[in-house]
Amino acid sequence: MKSVVIAGYCRSPFTPAQKGQLAKVRADDLVAQVVKGLIDKTGVNPQDIEDLILGCAFPEGEQGMNLARIAVHLVGLPASVAGTTINRFCGSSMQAIHNAAGMIQMNAGEVFICAGVESMSRVPMGGFNFLPNPDLYKTYPQAYISMGETAENLAAQYHIDRQTQDAFGLASQQKTAAAQQRGSFAAEIVPIKRPDGEIVQLDGCVRGNSTLQGLAELQPAFLKNGTVTAGTSSPITDGAAAVLVCSEEYADAHGLEKLARIKAIAVSGCAPEIMGIGPVGATHKALQRAGLTLQDIDIVELNEAFAAQSLSVLKDLPIPLEKLNLDGGAIALGHPLGASGARITGKAASLLKRENKRFALATLCVGGGQGMATILEAI
Amino acid sequence: MDVNKSDIKKVAVIGAGVMGSGIAAQIANAGIPVFLLDIVPKDTDNRNTIAESAIAKMLKVDPAPFMHKNNARLVTPGNIEDHLSWLADVDWVIEAVVEDLSIKQALYQKLDNICRPDTLVSSNTSTLPLKLLTRDMPDSFKQRFMITHFFNPPRYMRLLELVSSTQTRPELVDAVSRFADTHLGKNSVTCKDTPGFIGNRIGVYWLQYGLLEAIKLGLTVEQADAVMTVFGIPKTGVFGLLDLVGLDLIPHILDGMKLALRKDDAFHQVNTLPALVQRMIADGYTGRKGKGGFYRLNETGGKRVKESINLQTGDYQSSEKFALPDLPKTQDELRTFLSSDEIVCQYGWNVLSNTLAYSAGLIPEIADDIVAIDTAMRLGYNWKYGPFELLDRIGVDWFVDRLSAENRNVPPLLASRHNMYKVDSGKRLYVDLSGNYQPVRRTGGVLLLSDIKLSAPAVLENPSASLWDIGDGVACLEFHSKMNTLDMDSLAMVRQSIEKVKADFSALVIHNDADNFSAGANLTLLVQAIHTQDWPAVEQLIKQGQQTYRALKYAPFPVVAAPSGLALGGGCEILLHCDAIQAHAELYIGLVEVGVGLVPGWGGCKEYLRRWLEFSRRPGGPMPAIAQAFETIGMAKVSKSAAEAKEMLFLSTTDGITMNKDRLLADAKAKALKLVQDYTPPEHASFQLPGASARAAMDAVIHNYKLAGKITDYDVEISQQLADVLSGGLCDITEPLTEDDLLNLELNAFLHLVQQPGTLARLEHLLKTGKPLRN
Repeated sequence: MKSVVIAGYCRSPFTPAQKGQLAKVRADDLVAQVVKGLIDKTGVNPQDIEDLILGCAFPEGEQGMNLARIAVHLVGLPASVAGTTINRFCGSSMQAIHNAAGMIQMNAGEVFICAGVESMSRVPMGGFNFLPNPDLYKTYPQAYISMGETAENLAAQYHIDRQTQDAFGLASQQKTAAAQQRGSFAAEIVPIKRPDGEIVQLDGCVRGNSTLQGLAELQPAFLKNGTVTAGTSSPITDGAAAVLVCSEEYADAHGLEKLARIKAIAVSGCAPEIMGIGPVGATHKALQRAGLTLQDIDIVELNEAFAAQSLSVLKDLPIPLEKLNLDGGAIALGHPLGASGARITGKAASLLKRENKRFALATLCVGGGQGMATILEAI
Repeated sequence: MDVNKSDIKKVAVIGAGVMGSGIAAQIANAGIPVFLLDIVPKDTDNRNTIAESAIAKMLKVDPAPFMHKNNARLVTPGNIEDHLSWLADVDWVIEAVVEDLSIKQALYQKLDNICRPDTLVSSNTSTLPLKLLTRDMPDSFKQRFMITHFFNPPRYMRLLELVSSTQTRPELVDAVSRFADTHLGKNSVTCKDTPGFIGNRIGVYWLQYGLLEAIKLGLTVEQADAVMTVFGIPKTGVFGLLDLVGLDLIPHILDGMKLALRKDDAFHQVNTLPALVQRMIADGYTGRKGKGGFYRLNETGGKRVKESINLQTGDYQSSEKFALPDLPKTQDELRTFLSSDEIVCQYGWNVLSNTLAYSAGLIPEIADDIVAIDTAMRLGYNWKYGPFELLDRIGVDWFVDRLSAENRNVPPLLASRHNMYKVDSGKRLYVDLSGNYQPVRRTGGVLLLSDIKLSAPAVLENPSASLWDIGDGVACLEFHSKMNTLDMDSLAMVRQSIEKVKADFSALVIHNDADNFSAGANLTLLVQAIHTQDWPAVEQLIKQGQQTYRALKYAPFPVVAAPSGLALGGGCEILLHCDAIQAHAELYIGLVEVGVGLVPGWGGCKEYLRRWLEFSRRPGGPMPAIAQAFETIGMAKVSKSAAEAKEMLFLSTTDGITMNKDRLLADAKAKALKLVQDYTPPEHASFQLPGASARAAMDAVIHNYKLAGKITDYDVEISQQLADVLSGGLCDITEPLTEDDLLNLELNAFLHLVQQPGTLARLEHLLKTGKPLRN
């Protein structure tokens, strides 16, 4: 089988929905600038691109009309480049990478752009027309359960108390702020030009001056007398990310910089009411497919939907903290649903290179009760 | 005259204190750009910090100075060191800086050099006379200068006192009073250049008298304040108002008056600062802005307890509500009250008679006529009746007899014992100093229902509502029950009016000049029906309301409503059925039925949902409209202004807003007459709704709200019933519903809820306490 590599990663700044710097940028304009940035950065020949696979969790309104194909035109890619928009909620753009990897191994293309975007300012979570199946809602309401409630369920089931969650939230803020100060994001961020001409190049969600005391004072956000607060949840965010996925042969032939090889992938389902535990099942599957154990993994990017959720996953997947989310995570950085999968996979690949390690794991949970995992190997 | 045309297009306010910034906010509320400047404080990087902080603070306080938060964008903050040059471009500069003559005069010197010759400069001073302010200024300045004295808070108090000199150019005075009228919603009263002008001259005397007399007679502050309500004075009375004003200001005001007033003025007899008040000021009990005043909220053991001060001992104790057994209403009852030996009645008589006699002695010193004084006290102090209207209520003859019996001076104005006002040939007249009657003049374009009522009997009338002929083929439907709650009589009058207007008029305006348009349906009747489990009667009540409002909507003539103040529940629903609304800027409208465990049942859900479904500026699909209606009705949201009501779609984009309440009826009538040409009733609406899918979506929201503790158990039940109505019930999105279908859903939800104990508990709690119950 062909070897599939990640040969480039970049993203927009991640900024808070509504109040942030990117609130007035349409999702299609946002992702088009990131894809353009990826092409410029990697030097890939646009003519060779088979498909733009774009993840988006609520592909309607400004994010509708097969957003990927619209983005192809906005970027100015050749008309021969195809475009498909895919949806697995928070896993959408990791799914884009998985699709590309599968197609390359099927000999159905050599070069793919795998991107993700979400303007949570402009298309609300749940979409504009949330219309659940009334029969299913009666018999199995957890199919539509809110994400906050799932986090509370995990906190209860895994006995994650408020203090532990607050400490995790604080660590996320501190790691992210430190990475920001070191300039660790500069290489991956594509500056975004807004309709008013302003250039946005800084992440906007990070609260580096958070304190345990400040976090302790926040009210529970989803459950009266609960433990999950705004400080221990990923914020609603605007952002886009993209990675270049191609065959190793193609990368070598065209002199592209290879960040990592895709070693194994997996998805798995779990009970919707504890959707946040999804990474456990998916990671076990992927490790088995890679012939590895958790101990073999050097770098982990675990998407922090919630502190309670991440801490529950860590109880089942004992990952040493020094391997986890080296440059911080989604609680501090933000979680633009469709973009996060590409971000953590691209980030894990970049970190393998930067840290000079061998194996990396990128994994996340998905609303409705799913998990996804991608194992990368240094080249 | 086009009321919207004005010579004043840009304004500057100098001084960003409470008054200056509040005035700037009201100018912004009128849609007029305004600069707000203050000094540059020492040791600061931000040279505009005072004005900027004032704007930021105004966006937080309640009651809000801005009618819509976006209005803050019309206020440009600056400072007087860097930005005085901006004033070269404005039509009106309002000075509201500290009450210091030399500071004001120095500022005027600068303004005179910067401003255009035709720019008006006015001062918001409340203590300094105009002749002193302009003493050393050139004639060119005196010609463009006057005093414009606003009342606090500027958005809500409707009085503007104007003081000009013989040199002030009359066209500038006209321009300001016109602008204040049509744009700021203020009624101008022309005052003489005398201390305290009209409002504070009488107001300070009354407050001082009330304060000293309560101490002398040994009343509690609750007793003293309650007595004042007998005379139509707001329930803050004397002591509640002093707490609002700030006790620390009292010595300054008294000193100023003492210096400025003639030796023989009766003010000097009440110019005493009680030891108690001196002690309170020294201890920081300066009123609401301080640690508390005559009243305070004391926190003990996590509980906030309202306390009041004992006027004799100076100790705070738990506030004991004092209610008068029966509020005297008729002239006889008032006289009996004022003649009683009871201590509270003695207090009432002493304070009232002295205040009235003092006022009567101030003509022509402070105003040319009694109308100016009555207007000032009504609009500046929120008295229901001015002093001379009060005199008529108790009877001038009786009053003068009593003064004589007590060997007190009778002011010349009262000596002839004429009534202060009378009606002759349908016109309202007032008495002048020589005992002759003069017509009460209205500003051009003002139409008052109270004036119309004097000129002819009602066209139709019952205990709860009346129909009046307001001329030019337009009829006016007036609600006049207590709080204008709607009962069977009100509904009957709507139906009779429809028939009458069909036959004899070409348009209908729904308006009343009470403080509140309508507090909603009369709940007492509903509670009685629940107690007897008379469900057919409840059904009848709902169906009658639905049919009546629907008949109004499809009547073959235009219907324009002109609401002011509260328009809640059923009072909001009738507005939603009108062709157009001309709203007073102070409109507090909402569908608040869930507060009493119900859903709107007179077509309110249907009409409010329709407004959102037809609203073009929202994302497509059925859910956003349903979600908006669900949130607004489910949370019983009430607008805090007409501007907010527009944003909430209680008003449509074509509905008008009138700043001055006195112009509301005239504006509504004009709107109705405009609609008369080529009028066709609205098309019947149809509703394409997702049924069970939308219901499931709202159930999920209800579940999450309950989980987060944002709603109570019974809120869940009410919300589910509301969701059932707004989703369209058991319909499918491919089959549109009719208005009847929606009305049936409302009826079913209402009948379900009305039979639940939770609803009865909410209804009874509200009727008993006036506050909603969250069960």
